Amino acid sequence: MPPVTALLITLFAPLLTAAGIAFFFRRQGGVASALSVGAATLLCVCAFIAINGRGDATLAASCDWLSLGQFKVSMGFLFDDVAATMLAMVSFVGLLIHIFSLGYMKTDKARARFFGGLSIFMFSMMGIVLADNLIMIFVFWELVGFSSYMLIGHYLETDEAKAASKKAFIVNRIGDLGFLVGIVTAYWHFGTTDLAAMEALTLGHPGLVNASIAAFLMCGFIGKSAQFPLHVWLPDAMAGPTPVSALIHAATMVAAGVYFLIRIVFLFPAEVLDFVAWLGTAVAVYAGFCAYAQNDIKRILAYSTLSQLGYMAAAFGLGYPGVALFHLITHAFFKALLFLGAGSVIHGCHHEQDIFKMGGLLKRMPVTAITSAVGVLALCGVYGLAGFYSKDAILIAGGLGTTPIFFLLTLGAFLTAGYMGRLFWVAFLGAPKSDAASHAKESPLTMVIPLIILAGLSVVGGMIQLWPESLGGLIRHDLDHLHHAEGYAAMHHTVLIFGSAAWVIGLLAAFFFYGAGAKEDRLASKVPAVFGFLKARLWFDEIYGFYVAKIQDRFAALLSFLDVFLLKGLIVRGSAGLVTLLGLGARALHVGNVHAYVYWFLGGLLLFWAYAGGLL
Amino acid sequence: MFETHATLLLAAILVPLLAGVVLAFGSGLSTGLRRGVALVGFGFPMLAALLLAFRFDASLAGGYNFESKLATGLESIGIYLHLGLNGISLPLFLLAGVVGFAAGLYAIFSNTERPHLYLALMLFMQGGLMGTFASVDIFFFYFFHEFALIPTFIMIAVWGGTGRRAAAMEMTIYLTLGAMLSLLGLVALYVTSGAESFSLPELRAYLAAQPLSETLQSNIFALLLFGFGILVSLFPFHSWAPKGYAAAPTGAAMLHAGVLKKFGLYGLLQIAAPLLPAGLAHWFPWLAWLALGNIIIIGLITIAQRDLKLMLGYSSVMHMGYAFLGIAAFSVVGAGGALLMMVAHGLSVALLFMLSTCIYHRSLTFDLKAMGGLATKAPVLCAFFVAASMASIGLPGFGNFWGEFTIFVALAETEVTRWLVLPAALGIIISAIYGLRAVANIFFGSPRAEFAARLENDAIKDVQAFEKAPALVLLAALVLIGGFPRLISDRADAELAELYPATESLPHFETIAVTPEMETRKETH
Repeated sequence: MPPVTALLITLFAPLLTAAGIAFFFRRQGGVASALSVGAATLLCVCAFIAINGRGDATLAASCDWLSLGQFKVSMGFLFDDVAATMLAMVSFVGLLIHIFSLGYMKTDKARARFFGGLSIFMFSMMGIVLADNLIMIFVFWELVGFSSYMLIGHYLETDEAKAASKKAFIVNRIGDLGFLVGIVTAYWHFGTTDLAAMEALTLGHPGLVNASIAAFLMCGFIGKSAQFPLHVWLPDAMAGPTPVSALIHAATMVAAGVYFLIRIVFLFPAEVLDFVAWLGTAVAVYAGFCAYAQNDIKRILAYSTLSQLGYMAAAFGLGYPGVALFHLITHAFFKALLFLGAGSVIHGCHHEQDIFKMGGLLKRMPVTAITSAVGVLALCGVYGLAGFYSKDAILIAGGLGTTPIFFLLTLGAFLTAGYMGRLFWVAFLGAPKSDAASHAKESPLTMVIPLIILAGLSVVGGMIQLWPESLGGLIRHDLDHLHHAEGYAAMHHTVLIFGSAAWVIGLLAAFFFYGAGAKEDRLASKVPAVFGFLKARLWFDEIYGFYVAKIQDRFAALLSFLDVFLLKGLIVRGSAGLVTLLGLGARALHVGNVHAYVYWFLGGLLLFWAYAGGLL
Repeated sequence: MFETHATLLLAAILVPLLAGVVLAFGSGLSTGLRRGVALVGFGFPMLAALLLAFRFDASLAGGYNFESKLATGLESIGIYLHLGLNGISLPLFLLAGVVGFAAGLYAIFSNTERPHLYLALMLFMQGGLMGTFASVDIFFFYFFHEFALIPTFIMIAVWGGTGRRAAAMEMTIYLTLGAMLSLLGLVALYVTSGAESFSLPELRAYLAAQPLSETLQSNIFALLLFGFGILVSLFPFHSWAPKGYAAAPTGAAMLHAGVLKKFGLYGLLQIAAPLLPAGLAHWFPWLAWLALGNIIIIGLITIAQRDLKLMLGYSSVMHMGYAFLGIAAFSVVGAGGALLMMVAHGLSVALLFMLSTCIYHRSLTFDLKAMGGLATKAPVLCAFFVAASMASIGLPGFGNFWGEFTIFVALAETEVTRWLVLPAALGIIISAIYGLRAVANIFFGSPRAEFAARLENDAIKDVQAFEKAPALVLLAALVLIGGFPRLISDRADAELAELYPATESLPHFETIAVTPEMETRKETH
């Protein structure tokens, strides 16, 4: 099969599946889930056929989508090394999560809608991965936003899902506003939004790189990757089913923001790159602190995702897009693993999500517990596991670039180990703290097998030398670049020491502070002020909530009142009133008395005569 | 001399009128026969429009496809029943056909009082709509619009909801004022051009040869802008719209908001802007600021609405702001964006008005705060409403996205309009807020107490076939334009290039072969 055909299948198979489910199998959850998983399998197979068929070449194919005067949009593929790497990860992790969902969603009454949503998501995500121009990226960008909306709102009868889905979509739209302005400005600035063409232009004319265009486009990333100040939607998005959190809100969609930056790295001048680096660093540390005050296993992981996205942004901003991509891929493995592990726990504990009501799960759910442990260690960056290689590279890049960023990111690594340790020790060790936890059973095979495979990837996925030659070109290139940078050897040692110290101390500190299978949060009971401060998360949600309810909605209500009162009441009614008044006045003249009419007539005649005679 | 396609065009106007006459006098017809006649009356224009769209030859730009010219007895002042379609009118002609069919289908199978009269009025409207967009002659362009407007008033006054008399009254006065102003403008155009003809191409040729003075252009343009503006609910002349639509029966709301309202925009796009460019340039700041008023002020007002139908009415006013901005950009891109926006908005707003009635039949209220959780009882209705809301807030995959996006691109083209992009794009956030709030309040979450009691009641059913069919027709059209915008743009592009100035804003760079030296520079980047 020619690679372009294979790519077309990867793109459209899930769309057709979703349409088929919507029209024909809305009520047959079993058929729908089989179809959706089948499409995910086909997609994965075709993705790897395309990756093999590509070799080292960059495949490009496009067709016209819209043409009006000077405005031309095309729809096409830019299948280069970066796209191939991303495609491999998205299609494979996506397939595993589809399989996991078979077990997790087995008893859900809206299973067909769920699997249809997953298929729409895969279609939209494929579009972002393969798109060859900004406008096409934007189209699919909004579509992943919609699928995310649909899947966060899956449990639509709950008020939590209702609010969270709406919030996610609207907050993303705020980021998309900047993205949109960036695209339309870029179109007239470069004369195209084609990625390859823009890259060639900026190479030939470095003066074309424009900070404001880059900054506007970056807004899209801030929304989608939930960076400060638009990060508020991601923790709430955990209201969706856990496989959705794993697929969309950890491994793929939120990372698409970083992927987008990597695709347009040539548009970024140094000052915007610096900004991204600092932004990412700030989020990495901020989210790390927030995670300590969360008891819901999924929300802890959500803050961890925010923090890791911050690491990716930092790597990108430090000038190593390949390293950012590397962390994106390894993070997808271990974070999908951790979320699916959480899903397995939640499934086992009958939808209990509070880690302080779990405990003792290592005995009752050994596979889930051990694979989750692998995920925790990989996330902490334990030597030899996937997270080690990518995080190590980011810290080195930070150390070679900006010292404060290096220390902040190291602090972030320490925080990571601490809150992951808290999660693991409290939820998996000790004795069960609730009925649900004491009756927990290991999950079925469809859920356990993806866990084992992802655990395997979390162990070996970081060894880039094991990757097939056709993948990870940019990663190899940037790592190589990093290894040959001045002062690499010394920095490498520093980072090894600091990085290892961070996870060892973090995990141990968490163990001794919280204790295995703790019943309550010691931080909350011993130092409530600190816990309360962390739980408030710098009051972002409160500030936004205040703005929406007290400013925006009141202003809207005031405008609405003025609209009815002024425009309708005074002006429209007022002019109607004026006409009525004139009518009344005119009617008053019609007194119905012949004498009066004679006087009117005489008066008129006088007026006429005066006018004609030039007196008036 | 009659050519088949020209006959078809004429028939697309006459068939619904004839069907309307049959039904108006057909109180004795059986239900089946009544439905059959109405179905023919609504179905034929759509089929004709689709066939003509396939046969349309875009290379005739500047002229008309399927032309025919009938004497009317008014030849002495240059009035003929001159029909034809060009790249701008064809998409709207199609819109009228599709929305008319969907609205008709819904009306035929839903229960109304005195259905034969209701359907007859709708068919008269339909005939007028088809005629408006098929007229080459601006006299008939105006005449058909008025012809379609009168049944709207009657339908609101007779079949409307609460406050129908006042709404019909206000709408009548307001729209008549707008129509009068635009008529004055059209007549002024006829008189001052010296063409002694109401035929648009002749006027165009005359004005191209001897353009009017700038003062004259801006005076006539003002009449047309505010006349048409009132008809399209340009801020602050919008107050008739939300109230009128809230009171209107479904069929009238679908046809008026969906199609008839586009008359004003069509007049600006096809007649006012190309014929009076200096007038548009003069009034540009007014148009731009008022259109921003539509988007931002009306957008915020939409957020504050608690009544579903008022909310839809305001949102429809808001979206007109984009179309005005597209026209204000005065370029092929802007006009094309406005055209796409008009078509897509017509489809989506008709769908939303129809679905709001479907919701009302289940909730017995339009109060958004009194509903909730309807999705558990009516999942398919929920899916339709979510899709229609997403279309209306400009989600890609639906036609509205291309309209909005193209307009933003057009605004970014020159320095004059670039400042408008950011404030206008605020609309994508505003519309997301009210659109998703409505969806969430109606369908998701836990229902309010009284509504919960009603939801318990098993009488609430999901959408029925007669609701599903028209919704699918409209949704299919929206998705088709969203996926293949060239269906519209390819037919309009050449015509727009004839009417709007060719700008050369795209930058040109000499092509530079990438040298190895540049590759290394890229690597050290």
